[in-house]
Amino acid sequence: MASYNAARLTFMPVFRPDEEPRLRELLDALERPVELVVALGPEETPLPGARDVDFSAETVRIVEGLTALSERVTSRIEQQPDGVILFPAVLVLPAGEDMGLRYFGTPYGYELASLVGAVLEAGRPAPSLTPESLERLAALDRDLAIDVFVTPT
Amino acid sequence: MLLAYKLALASPHVSAAAIEAGEFPRLADEMNVWAVPRIVVNGVPQWDGAVREPVFVDRILAPSVG
Repeated sequence: MASYNAARLTFMPVFRPDEEPRLRELLDALERPVELVVALGPEETPLPGARDVDFSAETVRIVEGLTALSERVTSRIEQQPDGVILFPAVLVLPAGEDMGLRYFGTPYGYELASLVGAVLEAGRPAPSLTPESLERLAALDRDLAIDVFVTPT
Repeated sequence: MLLAYKLALASPHVSAAAIEAGEFPRLADEMNVWAVPRIVVNGVPQWDGAVREPVFVDRILAPSVG
């Protein structure tokens, strides 16, 4: 996309230089590897006045910026994988297993922390919830799809 | 958002998705998204705003949800 914003973003680092060492350390310490699948396909037309950004290209750039920090996190790109209807999307797979973690849209701004948080959680061998929460969840016998609408600002 | 991901990792019955409202305005409109985070379960809007883990789990597991 030929636009001022797209050209500017290309040169903008995904992470601040001062936060990279700590993030590398956290990612290198992941107890199980995490795979990120970037799902690309037809994008919805954003609201009038939305930033003039190539969301798919920006999502690929962010995910590759994350995987460049540690061998514990890898990524691949898929065109319109089964079961994904919003694009771009990032599927977070702990040890390559699909446990239902998705990010629909471009994880920039404050929402970059959501993607990083998902990766750090997915890299733990056990969930970091309280024993009370885990006990209650163990009794769950119906399927719940939680969608959390977010904005990057 | 992180709590929803933690629940998905903890239970095979739970999946969790963040949806960037600005990139999917039609869906955000359907879910009447005016404030974020807006929590939707099985396609039904539940509440707006971040809450602590016990409250989140309480609300998500309420019999009326899902």
